[in-house]
Amino acid sequence: MSEVIIGIDLGTTQSAVAVVDSGFPLLLADLEGRSLVPSAVWYSKKGEIKVGHEALRFAGIEEVHTSVKSLIGRRAGESDGRLTADGYISTAAGLKLPEEVSAEILNTLKEIAENRLETEVTKAVLTVPAYFNDGQRAATKEAGRLAGLEVVRILSEPTAAALSYGLDRLDESSRVAVFDLGGGTFDVSVLEMREGVFEVSSTSGDTDLGGDDFDKAIAGFAAVKFGRDLGDFESMERVQWISEGRRVKLALSEVEEAIFRIPFTGEVPVSREAFLGLMKPFLDRMESCCRRAMLDAEVTGKDLAAIVMVGGSSRIPMVKDRVATIFEQEPDLSQHPDEAIARGAAIQAGILAGTVREILLLDVTPLSLGIETMGGLMNVLISRNTTIPCKAGEMFTNAVEGQESMNVRVLQGERELAKDNWELGSFEVSFESDRRGQARVGVEFRIDADGILSVLARDVASNVDTVVKIGSAAVDVQETKVEQMVSESVEFAFEDMNARVFEESRLKAEELLPAVGVALEQAGTFLTQKEISEIQDAKEKVEIAIKDRKVAELKVSVEQLDAVTESLAAMLVEEATKAIFSNPQD
Amino acid sequence: MTDPFALLGVPRRLDLKDTDIDRLLLDASQLHHPDAGGDQNLFLKIRSAGEILKSPEKRVRAAIESTGFSFDGRGEIPAEVVGYFSNVASVLQDVDSFVSERSNALSNLGKAVLDRRVPGLKADLERVISNLNDLKDVMISNFKIFDEKGWSECEAEMGQVARGLIFLTKWSGQLKEANGKIFEALLGG
Repeated sequence: MSEVIIGIDLGTTQSAVAVVDSGFPLLLADLEGRSLVPSAVWYSKKGEIKVGHEALRFAGIEEVHTSVKSLIGRRAGESDGRLTADGYISTAAGLKLPEEVSAEILNTLKEIAENRLETEVTKAVLTVPAYFNDGQRAATKEAGRLAGLEVVRILSEPTAAALSYGLDRLDESSRVAVFDLGGGTFDVSVLEMREGVFEVSSTSGDTDLGGDDFDKAIAGFAAVKFGRDLGDFESMERVQWISEGRRVKLALSEVEEAIFRIPFTGEVPVSREAFLGLMKPFLDRMESCCRRAMLDAEVTGKDLAAIVMVGGSSRIPMVKDRVATIFEQEPDLSQHPDEAIARGAAIQAGILAGTVREILLLDVTPLSLGIETMGGLMNVLISRNTTIPCKAGEMFTNAVEGQESMNVRVLQGERELAKDNWELGSFEVSFESDRRGQARVGVEFRIDADGILSVLARDVASNVDTVVKIGSAAVDVQETKVEQMVSESVEFAFEDMNARVFEESRLKAEELLPAVGVALEQAGTFLTQKEISEIQDAKEKVEIAIKDRKVAELKVSVEQLDAVTESLAAMLVEEATKAIFSNPQD
Repeated sequence: MTDPFALLGVPRRLDLKDTDIDRLLLDASQLHHPDAGGDQNLFLKIRSAGEILKSPEKRVRAAIESTGFSFDGRGEIPAEVVGYFSNVASVLQDVDSFVSERSNALSNLGKAVLDRRVPGLKADLERVISNLNDLKDVMISNFKIFDEKGWSECEAEMGQVARGLIFLTKWSGQLKEANGKIFEALLGG
């Protein structure tokens, strides 16, 4: 028998391990028969560690570390205050890197596999969100290494789900989309399956969008009903409210209304309709990613044979509804939302171990890779959705005579300005002393099958290659500066707050007043007389407040006008949206 | 740079079918992908050769270079391509100003009134994209003629067509991006 390679889905809320047995991927269960391990780690002061179900026993009593995946490969400024300035998580047992905490989960999964398979396991395929950048992928790989695993491949989650879906459809030739909405991340990929070759055409997503956000939104909604702000809660209380939000969210997938209950505080009923209102901004962001993926793959919903939905949050009815609208077909729910990714990881492990021969996967890099050029622009060297592994070269020359080196900043992202993209780091290119434009160094950028970058520099004169080490970006240092700038501007603003409030309200009023006229003309016939006179009243109040330069009145009346025109706005938007998203051939 | 025609064993013709190149690449991937036991460097070479052959402008350029001429990116551009630029620029400008106004809008109603412009913008975009594709087809229709005459006989015309196609491809990328910007402005993201 060839060596065992396990496939691991390291999820935001739960994780799983699988292996291919006689051509089929199987999830491996722990001694109690449970195959999903909560991605939770608890540390005691003495350094004891509990993982998964055992760790969750401490929830609400002591600190349990969850959703660590949303911190891996991140900088302090991107962590919502959950990381120290140096990028550590503070635990009862001291400071830990996110990859160290994740390694504990991986270690538990490795033990489950070793128990079930009765053999030592040293190699694994780990999955990550497709939209993870270079740093997040590299940190995940490091977590594997810390758990004593050689990570033979970093695999994108939607691609893994596609392998699981396509395994028993190998003779089909079709295009499918995979919609993967997990606890903390969202991905959507379009793939083409032909003769066992799974080729990703495009991928898009958001690494800060998932079920955790919906829990928070419900908790925030309830907090407002008690006249409070979730942002001001102490950490333990916050955890309690968010976890009640999660319970309500899950209940709302089954029933029309659920009660949000906090002992000694009270109850808030949450209807599906209210939940839909909270979900709308998230659903819109998902739709934006889906449309981007279809645009990049040059397909419409009708070209796709199936929309495969996976990830725990794909159980939410309104997510399913929105998917059906975007792709103009009912989604395919044949894959187990929590298990498909681990199964797919196991299939890729089988491909690499040589036990699965009929399948080949061609994945892509989700983000464009480039360097900063003069003027602070991003020069794309490898564009997004390029099949990996891939490479691109760039020639650098000295700009002045005797220049010894130049600094090259490496970026990932889709924005035109360098500063709007994610900086992977920078490196120095050294030149031989020569006349201007004569010293030349070729730099090769390679993205490997894990989606991780390496850089080689070749001196053109000597033909010597050197591996370039990319120094990590010193973003955290700047972070304090940014905070300082922000707080300064807040203090400054406070002095003339009144003038500012008036100015802001006036700007909004200037936009609203003519808009009211246009909108009433175009859609006024759909409104009742009462609605129209409400709008007219609010409009008059705004005009009077501007004339008399009354700050408080203006602010209130503008908000009033914004509120009473909401349904009018919705009516107009619906028509416009219908026009842009419908296909001309319909 | 290796000759992509030679590397992939493709007949030295410009008039190639996309589906044939796809077929070839699929077979080559199954044989040479590192996961299937192939050599990574060879796989990378095959992929980049495939990218060249799949793109009409890169294909012409490779043909010019494989004949021993050098390709000049700054030479003459077909008049009909130059003439089309104003259409592209004006719709791109319209989209940009819509997107910036939309992202600066403060009220729901203000946004809604702006959104009334979307159907018109979308129709403009579609019209320009469709005309651009027609123009691309006109350029590509020369491929057969070049193949019949022999590449070394019409290197100058090939260069002109290649430059025209480079611009058309760049513009269709920008128009596609503009389409994306509109729905991102509407949905956020």
